[in-house]
Amino acid sequence: MTLLSVRDLTVTFGPVIAASGVSFDLAQGEALGIVGESGSGKSVTCRALLRLLPASARVTGSVAFDGQEVTALREDALDALRGRRIGMIFQSPASHLDPLMRIGDQVGQTLRRHRGLSGKALAEEVVRLLDQVRIPDPRRWADAWPHELSGGMKQRAMIAGALACEPDVLIADEPTTALDATVQKGVLDLLNSLRADRGLAMIFVSHDLGAVARVCDRLLVMRNGEVVEEGTVNRIVTAPVHDYTRRLLASHPDRLPPRPPRALPAGAPEVLAATGLSVRFGRRSLSDWLSGRTGGFVALDGADLTLRKGEVLGIVGESGSGKSTLARALVGLNRAQAGTIRHLGQPVQPAGRNRVTYLRQVQMIYQHPYEALSPRLTVEQSIAEPLRRHRLVSSGRIGARVTELMAEVDLSPDLGTRLPWELSGGQCQRVAIARALALEPAVLIADEVTSALDVTLQAQVLDLLSRLQAERGLSMIFISHDLGVIRRLCDRVMVMRAGQIVETGQVAQVFDTPRQGYTRELIAAIPHLPGAEAPA
Amino acid sequence: MRRAPALLVAGIAIVAAWGLVALAAPFLATHDPIAINFEALLQPPGDANYFGTDNTGRDVFSRVVYGTRYALYIGLLGVLAPMAIGMTIGLVAGYFGGWVDALAMRLVDVAVPFPFFVLVLAIVAVLGPGIENYFIALALVGWIGYARLARAEALVLRQSEFVLAARTMGFSHPYILARHVLPNALSPVVVYMMTDITLVILFGAALGFLGMGAPPPTPEWGIMIAEGSFYISTAWWIAFFPGLAMVMIGVGFALIGDGLARWLRLRA
Amino acid sequence: MPLLRLILARLVQALPVLLGVSLVTFVLMAASPGDPVRLLVGDRATPEIIAVIRERYGLDEPILTRYLVYLKNLLQGDMGASLRYRVPVTELIASHYPVTLFLVLYTIVLSLPPVVALAVVSARNQGGLADQAIRLLGVLGLAVPVFWLALLLSRFFGVTLKWFPVSGFGDTPLEHLHHLFLPALSTAIWVVPILVRNLRAALLDEMGRDYVTTGLSKGLGRRAVFRAHVFPNSLLPTVNLFGIIVAYLLGGSVIVESVYAVPGMGKLMVESILARDYYVVQGATLVFALTTILVMLATDLIAARLDPRVSA
Repeated sequence: MTLLSVRDLTVTFGPVIAASGVSFDLAQGEALGIVGESGSGKSVTCRALLRLLPASARVTGSVAFDGQEVTALREDALDALRGRRIGMIFQSPASHLDPLMRIGDQVGQTLRRHRGLSGKALAEEVVRLLDQVRIPDPRRWADAWPHELSGGMKQRAMIAGALACEPDVLIADEPTTALDATVQKGVLDLLNSLRADRGLAMIFVSHDLGAVARVCDRLLVMRNGEVVEEGTVNRIVTAPVHDYTRRLLASHPDRLPPRPPRALPAGAPEVLAATGLSVRFGRRSLSDWLSGRTGGFVALDGADLTLRKGEVLGIVGESGSGKSTLARALVGLNRAQAGTIRHLGQPVQPAGRNRVTYLRQVQMIYQHPYEALSPRLTVEQSIAEPLRRHRLVSSGRIGARVTELMAEVDLSPDLGTRLPWELSGGQCQRVAIARALALEPAVLIADEVTSALDVTLQAQVLDLLSRLQAERGLSMIFISHDLGVIRRLCDRVMVMRAGQIVETGQVAQVFDTPRQGYTRELIAAIPHLPGAEAPA
Repeated sequence: MRRAPALLVAGIAIVAAWGLVALAAPFLATHDPIAINFEALLQPPGDANYFGTDNTGRDVFSRVVYGTRYALYIGLLGVLAPMAIGMTIGLVAGYFGGWVDALAMRLVDVAVPFPFFVLVLAIVAVLGPGIENYFIALALVGWIGYARLARAEALVLRQSEFVLAARTMGFSHPYILARHVLPNALSPVVVYMMTDITLVILFGAALGFLGMGAPPPTPEWGIMIAEGSFYISTAWWIAFFPGLAMVMIGVGFALIGDGLARWLRLRA
Repeated sequence: MPLLRLILARLVQALPVLLGVSLVTFVLMAASPGDPVRLLVGDRATPEIIAVIRERYGLDEPILTRYLVYLKNLLQGDMGASLRYRVPVTELIASHYPVTLFLVLYTIVLSLPPVVALAVVSARNQGGLADQAIRLLGVLGLAVPVFWLALLLSRFFGVTLKWFPVSGFGDTPLEHLHHLFLPALSTAIWVVPILVRNLRAALLDEMGRDYVTTGLSKGLGRRAVFRAHVFPNSLLPTVNLFGIIVAYLLGGSVIVESVYAVPGMGKLMVESILARDYYVVQGATLVFALTTILVMLATDLIAARLDPRVSA
């Protein structure tokens, strides 16, 4: 039986069309996935279903839920629907919970509002719900404040709140995007089992085809506000019809061309080596000193690393694993309390007096494309800055060199006078790469450079990095939380957890025969496309 | 780039108009602002004296026109030193952090509890009355607001990836501060400066009112209001017009500040 | 005992500030022109008396020793004596301080209802007519010289309408309320726009937060979400601002008390400056700062109780 029927839904913000002519049906107990990249209109669409868009949005078309036309409902009738018949959960659970209200109270809000529960009955029901979303020791956590919960627990608490009144439909808007892979897997498993237990219908919105495929039966692919393809998950993954869907699938890490296994030339020198590198944040307070603690927070604990010439080393780990801390210690952004760094066998001080000579050999590129470029410098000025400051070429040659570098990263020359906000995320990242290459480094450290990009852009940037690495014989350290990406790009991989290196080895060996339980857990959590569980 | 909002334009127009009044004071004034005329004491506003005359027969209109020069002089000059000092301390403290920051913040902590105007008064009391001493007092205590703002910006900017990138490209700290941190920390400071100009003009006039600003014959608005306060029930115009002028000039700067703040927020 | 520990921690943190504040007032005094003893005892004092006083305040000692003597005297409640009134400074402050405290509290009581009402109306109709009007009023309030406004109010309500007395403090609490109405109103007109601006900004910030969408998606309705989530969250930054506002009010009292001849700390300070009565100026400055520190400590503790994220 059709529960929700959307016809020709169009959302505009002034002149901007955010969603255009979206139509679909959702049957009882069915799980529908909506997939698309940023700006595809997937989030706008699902917010429009509950009329949660800001007042500046204009919505036309029809949303029929169980015989009621949602777009025409009065505010009070709409509120009787929200949270009672249709529940919703969001991305970044941290910001979607009120920091000044206890978890139990926030979970219980819908019960109080729609079922009139209060007092002991309410408290009991909240505890039952928290238990149901597998929060251990629910009585204790019901009294906790949001900031005391981990990211995964916050999302579970949100789910508990949304499902408290046993709604018919759950709308999940990128519910696992901000979470680590292993935590994401836990939340997806929970959603699956809730669905099975209750016959809950679900709309699951995500940019991640792998995550959607884990939960959903049917799929909408959206692009630029329009639905470009609709069908069962299996059909779309195995036989996509639309060009864009094909590109999306081809950009998925599962489908990227695997890096051919290769042996480095014997005796390739160690360009970069670190031994016993430790970084501690924060100082030792008086009470630490009195109770004999070292104090602060150990972000990196005795890490060893070697990188040989021409090698691509992947570092993988979840948030807080210390992978970025390690990278930043290598370029002197974090001061290491212990350990040594060697460049071509010579000890170096990345933050010391002779850092410029070292840093010209070891360059770093960063995660957020728009943030990595100085907002008031044009593309040309950004790329020319290191050339000028370090007098790498004569001042008359700077313009020509900038043009060369832009060509090398496939940037069209007419972008030279643009400011960062006039560029796309992928273009910004290319500028950042060109700027790093201006110093002619031997080592490139890439810290989560593609994680803020859409998959199709990610595929292009990975492609570019691969090409540059091969052409220039660069040594590279590629840091990512995404095992799928590491597998496609790197020769060797290091797995990190809680500031320590858990496992190191050739990519094929670590992926196929992981030695550590944690590595196995990470690998199992990769959201693969269906039929691609054992990639070639 | 969005169009500047109407109120911002209005603020700029008001301030520009007052700037013109200050420049053209000799042409606008109908009388000598300090010429005493015992023939025409406490005359109400009329054709001979647009804003009337005060208790020594001086023309209130001409005095208000010349007073514009003092107000703008105090407002525009008074914020320069506090801004320069505050920006430097705030940016350096926020960017480097560590003990530099700790020291600067302790300094701010000590200065914050003193009511701004009380501290200015106390310093002027020590140094003696006069506009120059008011400027010194402002330089000593007015930097705090700028320092807090600049520090907050620098704290964010130093963690931003383009500053990190500049560091890993081997650029020096002074260069990064000047080229990458300062330009991006400027907007909130400029907004604050506009409000600060209003306050500096008001407090300057308050000093004049309390008898601790410029010496008495000067056509300064605060002094005029103080003189007029004795005649407020018989000759309201002496105190009324300089105050009104001050409100208008203050509204001009406040509108610029308010409009800039909104404009910058819209663009972000 | 988390509250007790929090209070202790904050007090310990306030110690260096207290030291710094005393240092500032000391330097203020040490830098003032003229011989402080002459100022203290006048021109007719005998050399013996001068010698006794020089020793008592350690004036022949090096500057650091003099500061320590000053601190020691402060801790014993000795702030020197007034040249004009020939009484200890503490005595003068004791008689003037309650008046200013009364005025500040009165102003706060007068200000809070309009602040909350205007900020809420403004934020809930963002960009609307009411919002624009309130915003313009705010700009106007910022630009109005408080002493001029006070003058006009006293002329209109005091002289023309004779509703309120234009000077003094009165003798009974009811008379205080009557006498201080115009001074409190003048100061309120000055601070209300600042507070409205801050609370409005905080409200708008919170209204744009993600948890508002969560609340709406649960069917709580706009009003309930505003009451349960937006308002409590936007109070925090306003509470944190309160110490600064009190400092502002104390600064404003200096001007307003002079206009209305209210026998409070502000008037005492201005008159003492004009009469070069330096010990009184020093003492008054210190008391102003101490008041602000106390209020800041109190608001800090309140904020810590309101916000579960703050810990000792």
